[in-house]
Amino acid sequence: MAMRSRLAFIGGGNMAEAILGGLLATGYPLSQCVVSEPLQARCEFLHSKYPGLQIVSGPSANQLAVNGSTSAASTAALISEGSVHINPTAASSHSDFSAAEVVIFAVKPQVLRTVVEDLGSVLRTKKPLVISIAAGIETGAIARFMAEGTRVDPRSLPPVIRVMPNTPSLVLEGAAGLYATSDATPAQRHVAESLMAAVSKQVSWVERESLIDTVTGISGSGPAYFFLMMEAMEDAGVALGMDRETAKALTIQTCLGAAKMAQTSEDDLKTLRVKVTSPHGTTDAAIKTFEAGGFRELVAKSVGAADARSRELALELGGKDLSNKL
Amino acid sequence: MAPVVPQARLAFIGGGNMAEAILGGLLATGYPLSQCVVSEPILARCEFLQQKYPGLQTLCGPNANQLAVNGSVSETNTATDIANGSITVNPTAASTVFDAAEVVILAVKPQVLRSVVVDLAPVLRSHKPLVISIAAGIETSAISRFMAENCTEETPVTLPPVIRVMPNTPALVLEGAAGMYATADATEEHRHVAESLMAAVSKQVSWVETEALIDTVTGISGSGPAYFFLMMEAMEDAGVALGMDRETAKALTIQTCLGAAKMAQQSSDDLQTLRVKVTSPQGTTDAAIKAFEAGGFRELVQKGVSAADARSRTLAKELGGSKL
Repeated sequence: MAMRSRLAFIGGGNMAEAILGGLLATGYPLSQCVVSEPLQARCEFLHSKYPGLQIVSGPSANQLAVNGSTSAASTAALISEGSVHINPTAASSHSDFSAAEVVIFAVKPQVLRTVVEDLGSVLRTKKPLVISIAAGIETGAIARFMAEGTRVDPRSLPPVIRVMPNTPSLVLEGAAGLYATSDATPAQRHVAESLMAAVSKQVSWVERESLIDTVTGISGSGPAYFFLMMEAMEDAGVALGMDRETAKALTIQTCLGAAKMAQTSEDDLKTLRVKVTSPHGTTDAAIKTFEAGGFRELVAKSVGAADARSRELALELGGKDLSNKL
Repeated sequence: MAPVVPQARLAFIGGGNMAEAILGGLLATGYPLSQCVVSEPILARCEFLQQKYPGLQTLCGPNANQLAVNGSVSETNTATDIANGSITVNPTAASTVFDAAEVVILAVKPQVLRSVVVDLAPVLRSHKPLVISIAAGIETSAISRFMAENCTEETPVTLPPVIRVMPNTPALVLEGAAGMYATADATEEHRHVAESLMAAVSKQVSWVETEALIDTVTGISGSGPAYFFLMMEAMEDAGVALGMDRETAKALTIQTCLGAAKMAQQSSDDLQTLRVKVTSPQGTTDAAIKAFEAGGFRELVQKGVSAADARSRTLAKELGGSKL
């Protein structure tokens, strides 16, 4: 990625680390990144894994990460009063770093509101691009949190891009859906896409935010569906007399091989299946069993359940209308 | 990948997709083209292979299988065969004189395997190459019986060892999963040769110690790609039903499948642990998994795998022809 924007990760958990690690592996300058993380042990882990990474912790850490340091003296004061702990081995001088151009919210959905409200003023002042990877929090909710209940001109709020990544990002094989508010520029959309492309092999934009719930049902939660499928096949092999290690290894490679074929082929999935299903053969016997047992309908139902739960969570966590909140 | 040791002379009987995949994979890893010969009945297919692998020795015609296994006795003999139309060779191949096969890969359709092997039986008995079969549903004992047919020798004859392989379609993209079974007379070296051949196109190669488990391999990895195609198709359709455009639903689904498999392969966690780790209580994943479980997903998968396994056993009986 050619860009050199200053990035602030709010939250240094697995997904943040995956994205950061992927970016660094593709040559993104370490000196342009800062991570704000509350857990001391986690900070120390990140220190050891990414020597020289700027990591801030403490009550004022988020503020500092987004705002940048106003002066060497003020940062030193924050440190001495304990408002901020800083990585002493960080590449850039710990008393001098610039405001974030991109803020990536990587905290748990349940705490996002508090975190964003706390940062409201500096976000409105600095107007970085805000990227949220938190499940279930709508861009409208984030905008409300940034406004902190004050009456602000919506145009003064930073644009928000909402991302639904997935766990295989941790092995650089993620699938991600993105939605941008209308005030995000093409350049900002490109930034968000490039960030996610560091850890995802498939990055897709959706044009309506409600489709992020569907992304959740497909790729957000989807890895678990395939884990379940593979587990069931492994167990089936063992039930038929195969040793578990062989059943597992063959199953996983079969899943991988099928996905690779699907990705590299011009054929659609139905055609791929039909091509490998000789009439009255072994595959035909299995597929007929799946169809007779309502396999497709069950998959549709489960994807729908994840999609519906995603919508529910958005309502629960969005806090739009406090008077109606149960 | 280290080349097959030694660089044995290979004869592919049948030049279809799977044979081509294995050949292509071997050549890509440096296997010498000059040590390979393909016998293929359809001339157009021979020509296709000649174009794709310039210099490959391809044989077509009534005596092609024999020549591939036996090697050419002399240039004159081969020239006679060509002149009388018994065989057609690749005119751009390095030579029409080549050695007997040390490894014979039977890559014909199961329904014709018997007649192919019976026809080759005398030369298989005399030359005793390693015989590798990738034909579904044909047991090693059946292949041995076919090789023993019409045996006129009075002294007991030792037959070539047979290694049976159940590969799968992703071998075509070098991402195969294969199960293998060897008869007791196959040596360590024979097993190593067969394993190396399949490793050219498979990322997972597993030996099974009883031949019955080849039917289970069929149910898991042989037929398995279709199960995942169906799963992905169902997820893509579900996305579309919820309002997503098909292209996005398809792309996200396929990458999700790939990512999950990659995670599973690289992790020391078992599949249940992997799933539990990504399933926050009362979250979206939890809702989906609960729906799968309530709908009997596991049982249905087991039923499907068993159906393929059972069909494989039935086919083995039908095609084995032990009772005429």
